[in-house]
Amino acid sequence: MLVFTRKRDDAIVIGDGIEVRVVRIGRDSVRLGITAPAHIAVHRREVYDAICRANRAAASDPTVLDRLAARLRGAVLPGPSRS
Amino acid sequence: MTSGTTHAVATAQDTIAFAEGLPGFETHREFVLMTSPALEPFACLRGLGPDAPSFLAIDPRRIVADYRCQLSEANQARLRASSGAPLVWLALVRPGDAGASVNLRAPVVINPETMRGLQVVDADDSYPLDLPIAGA
Repeated sequence: MLVFTRKRDDAIVIGDGIEVRVVRIGRDSVRLGITAPAHIAVHRREVYDAICRANRAAASDPTVLDRLAARLRGAVLPGPSRS
Repeated sequence: MTSGTTHAVATAQDTIAFAEGLPGFETHREFVLMTSPALEPFACLRGLGPDAPSFLAIDPRRIVADYRCQLSEANQARLRASSGAPLVWLALVRPGDAGASVNLRAPVVINPETMRGLQVVDADDSYPLDLPIAGA
């Protein structure tokens, strides 16, 4: 892992068009500003990981989905009248 | 072209491109959305290719009637969505022993016009990742 020492308002550049800037330094946290091209997704690690775990737990064998749907059908609201 | 198949076969036209895959399944980038009377009101978001995941999914408004999720400009651009264009919103269902839970925090959004999809990762945390729903 590359490790840099940066002061407030300092930045690092990653590849073509990604910049990470130190916006504010607190006692236990730093605030970072990230500039990236629109096609580059930027996520908080713990949020992304939580969604990874939820997705892995939700992945199902497609052959059992009819049965699962039948079991859960009573738990959902009627279809919205708006389109 | 034969017409003897009993199962619907996905064509390239039906393929939804997820440019970044789904978190946890980043290498699977092509899905189809399958509906059937047996699944209703759910749908199956089915990955294409070997070892691709499948998910039971549902319109989040069938879980929370006033469900609202804001799509960021970056995500709109990824979907090539013009403002006001109708998008398909899906919450993934996590099966459990008795009931199930539904991921309202990170919905899957599909633009049927461009057949592009993504999972919203950057929504605020006003909805849970795993809202329990009761099974029959």
